[in-house]
Amino acid sequence: MASNLKYLDPRTLAKLQGLELRARSIVEGYVSGVHRSPYHGFSIEFAEHREYSQGDDLRFVDWKVFGKTDKFYLKQYEEETNLVSYMLVDTSESMRYQSADAPMSKLDYAQCVAASLSYLILQQQDSVGLVTFDNEIRSLVRASSNPSHLKQLLHVMESARPARKTQTGPIFHDLAERLKRRGLVLILSDLFDDVPSMLAGLKHFRHRRHEVILFHVLDPAELEFPFRQTTLFRGMEELPDVLTDPPALRRAYLDEFGKFLQAVRKGCRAQNVDYLLLRTDQSLEIALSSYLASRMNRVK
Amino acid sequence: MPDLFPLIAFGFGNLLMLGWLAAAAAPILIHLWNKRRYREVSWAAVEFLLSAMRKNSRRLRIEQWLLLLVRTLIVTLLVIAVAQPFLEQVGLNFVPGQRTLKVLVIDGSYSMGYQATDKNRFDRAKQLATQIVEESSQGDAFTLILMASPPSVIVGSPAVEQHDFLQEIDNLKLLHGGGDLPATLVEVEQVLKSAEHAGLPRKEVYFLTDLARNSWVPELKDAEADDYHQRLARLAHETPLVVVEPGQAGTENLAITSLAANEPFATTAREATFSGQVRNFGTQPRNHHLVEFHVDGRRVKEAYVDVPAGEQAPISFSYRFEAPGDHAVEFRLAPDSLDIDNHRWLSVPVKDHLRVLCVNGKPAAGVMSGAADYVALALNPDADNPNAPSIVEPEIIPESALLERDLARYDCIFLCNVAQFTSNEARVLEGVLKRGGGLVFFLGDQVLADRYNRELTGEHGVRVLPARLKELVAEPQYHYNFDPLSYSHPLLSAFQGREQSGLLSTPVYKYFRLALVPGSKARVALAFDGGDPAIVEEPIHQGRSILFATEGSLSSLDPVSKTPWTTMPTWPSFVPIVQETLALAVRGQMTEHNVSVGQPLGESLPAMASRPAVKVTTPAGGHEEVRTTLDAQDSRWSFADTQQSGMYHVELGAPVSRDESFAVNVDTSESDLTKVPAEELPKEFTAHQRTNLDETDSPSITRRSGLHKNLLYCVLGLLFVEVFLAWRFGHATR
Repeated sequence: MASNLKYLDPRTLAKLQGLELRARSIVEGYVSGVHRSPYHGFSIEFAEHREYSQGDDLRFVDWKVFGKTDKFYLKQYEEETNLVSYMLVDTSESMRYQSADAPMSKLDYAQCVAASLSYLILQQQDSVGLVTFDNEIRSLVRASSNPSHLKQLLHVMESARPARKTQTGPIFHDLAERLKRRGLVLILSDLFDDVPSMLAGLKHFRHRRHEVILFHVLDPAELEFPFRQTTLFRGMEELPDVLTDPPALRRAYLDEFGKFLQAVRKGCRAQNVDYLLLRTDQSLEIALSSYLASRMNRVK
Repeated sequence: MPDLFPLIAFGFGNLLMLGWLAAAAAPILIHLWNKRRYREVSWAAVEFLLSAMRKNSRRLRIEQWLLLLVRTLIVTLLVIAVAQPFLEQVGLNFVPGQRTLKVLVIDGSYSMGYQATDKNRFDRAKQLATQIVEESSQGDAFTLILMASPPSVIVGSPAVEQHDFLQEIDNLKLLHGGGDLPATLVEVEQVLKSAEHAGLPRKEVYFLTDLARNSWVPELKDAEADDYHQRLARLAHETPLVVVEPGQAGTENLAITSLAANEPFATTAREATFSGQVRNFGTQPRNHHLVEFHVDGRRVKEAYVDVPAGEQAPISFSYRFEAPGDHAVEFRLAPDSLDIDNHRWLSVPVKDHLRVLCVNGKPAAGVMSGAADYVALALNPDADNPNAPSIVEPEIIPESALLERDLARYDCIFLCNVAQFTSNEARVLEGVLKRGGGLVFFLGDQVLADRYNRELTGEHGVRVLPARLKELVAEPQYHYNFDPLSYSHPLLSAFQGREQSGLLSTPVYKYFRLALVPGSKARVALAFDGGDPAIVEEPIHQGRSILFATEGSLSSLDPVSKTPWTTMPTWPSFVPIVQETLALAVRGQMTEHNVSVGQPLGESLPAMASRPAVKVTTPAGGHEEVRTTLDAQDSRWSFADTQQSGMYHVELGAPVSRDESFAVNVDTSESDLTKVPAEELPKEFTAHQRTNLDETDSPSITRRSGLHKNLLYCVLGLLFVEVFLAWRFGHATR
């Protein structure tokens, strides 16, 4: 078990070649690491009640029925395969950033998360689609529940070439219009874009009755600004170069960055969007467990 | 002296180090270099960086300048500190420096006894010295020298324990002598030299003195003056020499500058007269000033004198002593601000009569035919008059009886035409001189010149004769007369203006030519008209020896012409000249018992079976036992601690069993209270006047205050400030 768990650590994961291997390692490692099975109760639709027998999980006892009848009944759910998930992976230039202390770039991290979630979703016979984007949609893979679909997803992800600016707002609007079927939208991005525009995009998703989980992928250096000596910061995404003494500017930068995070969080909360900050040096368990928790909430 | 205002001068001990000030540019250069030396990174979140820079550029610039300023200051102050800056300053306590050796020189001359208020100058000087010690920093060390004549080093090696040192200051007693500045500087130099390795890098010398001219403008001969000035320059180069005045200005002072007996000896038989001088050292005339005459501590007479400013007035008293022995005579002035010089004492040995031994070298049966008969008659011409008191009691003995007599009983020995002396006799005669007695030699036809020269002129270690005897001088049909040599010698002073006394017409037909020993103190009192000495006298040991070149009687006849050597004994001038000779010969007894402050007391005692115990009672009432030392012939005692003026009483125990008095008087040159103005002091000294002891600042300090320590503290403080600012501005390593 312990040997599998280590694949949740991005440092170990970085040593593995190929997204598939990474995704499998993550999911298997995670699944065998938790006590309760992720295969329970993934359906949304209620099927029937079954009488409680010894050994059944007490979590599924219907207490309302017990209150009325004084008998233990378990809720039984109908296995559904019509849950559609869409992975929206930002492949703009800024996602390429990887600081010296980080085990992998933001894009690598986002791809790992997307791949492992896709793998997990497909394992449950749900369908999953993929969109990569920067200032426009670079690729769009339709949702499918076919286990072989994973390979296509991984291929698309691996072939992404980050070089452009991000423009989340128009992309989200566009996607909200395009993704007709109501489902779960998983966004993986650093969100280095105009925040109100991005939030407007999210709002559009919500308007279309999509569930949205926003994975905010950031490098630890972007959160801590640990530079000490005079540094020339070469701007990505066509932004200008900046020569400065980082220690003198650190506090001001962190203030600015904190305001940005605050605005994003606030916006997400307002749209009822699940927001999750992912550091590229953090274990991927956080991403997986928060996804699963979100799913569980929906089940209830 | 005008008050001296505090002066502050700034300087550097190591000026060359200031070249390192260029290093102050280092922080700026490092800053510029840092700006050029940067690393490059790709950065995604540039937008936030730009926004932060836009909002904080002004604050960042200020912080940067502030840090640069602090760092530049640190380097600048460090360089200045290494260059050893100092403040040279007079009059105030400034920056405490490193450990300091403070040499305190307190003037112990008696002018410091001047007392216009409740405390005299000496006590105020002690108080100032105490203040200097108490206000000194922890770790300072002190030495103490009393500037007297001779100076004395009270604490020679640097003392750190303040309490004990203050005790030494408190124990100091004012002496009654002068102050010897050149000798004191020798001691100061010695003390500084011996403290070289005591780990006291700074030195300060304080002279607590009234700057009396007598001490501070020493009269020096060329070589001594050169030595003095060179030493002063050496000292001033090494350490500040600070003169601190204890205040109490004032120059008005009366003093008794002399006291002497008019007669060479005093007897109970006649009145003795004592004369002295009262001098006014001040600028105001002093009229009707009381002078008291004390004998043995009892006031017996008084008189009033008028003394104009800067002048002196004579005063004399007569007194007849009732009992023989040593008597203390004192002239005393009414008190003034300086009391020490208001007294002058004289120890007067009073006798019933003078005992004189006349040794007859050529006895004869006839009346007045012996060699000593005329001398004995001249010594006591009134011997046959029962109404005239006998002052001199001569006794004639043959030369063979010389060794049988106890010569200590006699005040003077007249040796008349004695043929020769044995070594023993020579030593006995030397003993007379050592005890302050007199020897008078008359020559004659019996005298063997070679034996005289051999035994009496030092060839065998005994010297009692003031001149050597040469050949006989005589010319047929010719007589020599005396040349009084302008009556310059005290022996002849009585004859001055009395040419009728016959001295100049006294014929001398034959005499020994006398040759003075070069370098001796012998003086010719009377000469022959041919230029040869007729009377030679010399103080030898404590006594005096007088040699007549010719005969003192008519007993010596020329073998050819049958005329006597001289007819002087029958001449009217003979009696006075013998009397004056006696007076001069016994004067040593008086002078032996009257000395100046600092001179030792003492006397020779005749050889005896056991050494007598000697107990000296000082004027302050202290008693001290003195050991007698023994040499080949006789024993001698000496007492050197005579720094206080007054009468010293000496008890000589058995077998001498005698009381004696000694008078110790001040040298009144110190009574002149004129102060040396600051501008006349050698430039090496820095003077400062203290008029009020309650002033809070340390008295008169000219010191080089080392600033580097404080600068280093500033550097340390700035380092903390730099660290804090760097942390505060986000420059610290996190």
